[in-house]
Amino acid sequence: MEGIPTQSTRRAPSRFFRFFTGDRGLALALLLPSLLLVAALVLVPLIYTLILSFQSATVNVIGGRGQLVGHWVGLRNYIHLLTNSYFLSGLRATLYFFAASILIELTIGILMAHLLNLEFRGRTLVRALVFIPWAIPTIVNATLWGMIFNGNAYGALNGLLPRLGLGNGHTVWLDTTPVWPHVPLLGPFFQWIGMSRGMNALIIGDEWKTLPIVAFLVLAGLQTIPKDYYEAATIDGATPWQRFRYITLPLLGPILSIVLILRTMQLVRAFTIFYTLEATNIPVLSISAYQQAFSFGYFGRGSAVAFIIGLISLFFAWIYIRWLYREEVA
Amino acid sequence: MDEKKEGLNRREFLKLAGVAAGAVALGGTLGETLAQSSKATKQLSVLYMNQAGYTTQVVTEMAKQFMSLYPDIRINLTFLPYPQMHDAITTSVAASTATYHVVLADLIWTAEFIDHGYVIPLNPYITPEEKQGIYQAIWNGLEYKGKIASFPFLANFQNFYYNREHLRRAGFEAGPRTIDEWVHQMEVIKSKGIVKYPYEDSWTQAEGLVCDYVRMAGMFGNGNLFEGGEPVMNRGPQLKALEFMVMLMQKGLANPASIEADEPTAARAFASGEASFNTNWTFVTGIMNDPKQSKIIGQGVVSTFPIVPGTNPKTHSASISGFQGIAIPANTPKELIPAAIQWIRFAASPKIQAEHLHSQWPVWKSVANSPAERRINPWWQVYQENLEAVYNRPKVPDYLHVSAIIQRYVHQALQGNLSPKSAADQMVQELKALGG
Repeated sequence: MEGIPTQSTRRAPSRFFRFFTGDRGLALALLLPSLLLVAALVLVPLIYTLILSFQSATVNVIGGRGQLVGHWVGLRNYIHLLTNSYFLSGLRATLYFFAASILIELTIGILMAHLLNLEFRGRTLVRALVFIPWAIPTIVNATLWGMIFNGNAYGALNGLLPRLGLGNGHTVWLDTTPVWPHVPLLGPFFQWIGMSRGMNALIIGDEWKTLPIVAFLVLAGLQTIPKDYYEAATIDGATPWQRFRYITLPLLGPILSIVLILRTMQLVRAFTIFYTLEATNIPVLSISAYQQAFSFGYFGRGSAVAFIIGLISLFFAWIYIRWLYREEVA
Repeated sequence: MDEKKEGLNRREFLKLAGVAAGAVALGGTLGETLAQSSKATKQLSVLYMNQAGYTTQVVTEMAKQFMSLYPDIRINLTFLPYPQMHDAITTSVAASTATYHVVLADLIWTAEFIDHGYVIPLNPYITPEEKQGIYQAIWNGLEYKGKIASFPFLANFQNFYYNREHLRRAGFEAGPRTIDEWVHQMEVIKSKGIVKYPYEDSWTQAEGLVCDYVRMAGMFGNGNLFEGGEPVMNRGPQLKALEFMVMLMQKGLANPASIEADEPTAARAFASGEASFNTNWTFVTGIMNDPKQSKIIGQGVVSTFPIVPGTNPKTHSASISGFQGIAIPANTPKELIPAAIQWIRFAASPKIQAEHLHSQWPVWKSVANSPAERRINPWWQVYQENLEAVYNRPKVPDYLHVSAIIQRYVHQALQGNLSPKSAADQMVQELKALGG
């Protein structure tokens, strides 16, 4: 009989079992539906895309049943892309679009937030008006700017400027020819980074829509900073720049990191405004991913581009978190 | 002791009434659903495109007519813009069972769809009468290696449009018959200041650019970009066409905005009177005479294309095809194929096409030559000539990749980043590397 546990001498629940009981168990049970959804809608496609990016995958119909058939090619898709000059020019164009946009958002966005944070008559109305562009759907915004930048004389900007005594009314605003191509050093550099009048026009169109959300998020951050800090700094003789540098900027760190991560992800995968206004004239990464997968039928290569987009976003997110965290501690 | 009351109290009555009302409503809904499903035993999911001519409204009406004729088939329509059509079809084909059982297919997908087995070849279903009754030029576009990918539905092709009033003011009685005449007319129009840029075309980096390049090559004598499976853009008429397009840009005869314009944009430039010439799809005929969209009512003329003398001896013109057909994806369940064929026959029938002559040129010869068409379309003869003169874009399975390469280098040449020869050489080199 020895060794056979009786009712009273049965062993206590294992640590594994205990992990799922009590408050923790309840928390896990409540989290489970969300975790399952995230797994089904995010993790599974993510892993599938990763696997596809190492395959040569095409659509096949066998016996009346369609399927995506792939065979393992290792890093070949990535090597093909990263040694292709056209893809690399698209990568540089993406980075230029991202860097120029972020720069605008960090400067004008913060400035707008400061202005909206001031007390003046009609502030609520101004805040509401400033927010309107964000409410416009991306495709509508793109079409709107397409009408403004139309290169014909009937284009909105080409129609307006000559009336103000500016321009000849025949400027091709969306021209993707590099800026100042014949200027030594500068011309080739602009060409290399993918800077063109068309690209700059797209940045303006995109920023018009997205600046308000950046400004409002920063405004929310500004409102959490106690006014006492500024008063104390002013008494101590701090200049406006010093107040901004040593109070505002560090305390905006957490909100700025959110804004930067959010906008980086959006900018690196920006598609609608490019496709609507430039078709495939500017081969940014999202256009490249779309073309490779859905136009050319190279689903493996398209997945590889999608992963490169993800890795770039991740890399910048890591930099932001690291940099802004340090800033906050300092 | 509780005394049981006879009959129903107010609460019980309300409960019962609610249950009864719910049962009636549920019964009615179920009954209706069952009645519908008992009528329509086959559900056909059909993918169409948002476009002019056969608009969503027209096709929806067509489906209603069909369902009243064939109550056992239900047509579920989905409409998408052109750029999304290929992706939607490909992803539907990638599924084990088709999302779309019938799809509208552009002719440029013909080789891909047949080569990869995406669609069912329609040869066994097509009668000799149908084969003879439809223009051979259209069949040529929708056939690959003897297999018919789709049934002809839409006869789209390009026409040469010019503004009669602009030409009259420049001192010309008629439109150009040769390329030299055309250039001369443009130069005179420009020098007299009638318009700043006499010509506008859709040369943004998209499919429309390849259409215009192929047609231009055709106007120089040969619109085939591949010969014997090899790309030939860096010699002969194909190279001359590119040089000509670049020359038009350099001399300011073509609007610089062309490099960012799509077909509707170029059409609007013509209809606004900003351009004297436009080479575009048949929809421009409607726009130029629509008071809501046009400032040149009565001034627009539809013509054959100017060509290099001695070329295109049979047709004396050179156009580009943009036909569309109706196809059945290969993963459509077998039991739905007869219904799909029935729908195709109905939608593309001469009867239906004859009802829409105002908006679309028919695929059927009998309808195109009918008194009704002649009455409605004063340019019907020109249409016939241009239709007979179409060139097709390369029929290769990886056409969309081939097209992207062509678009890129032609666009680079038009922007002045590369010389025409250099662009054509690089284009050929890249296409050869692709295996095109």
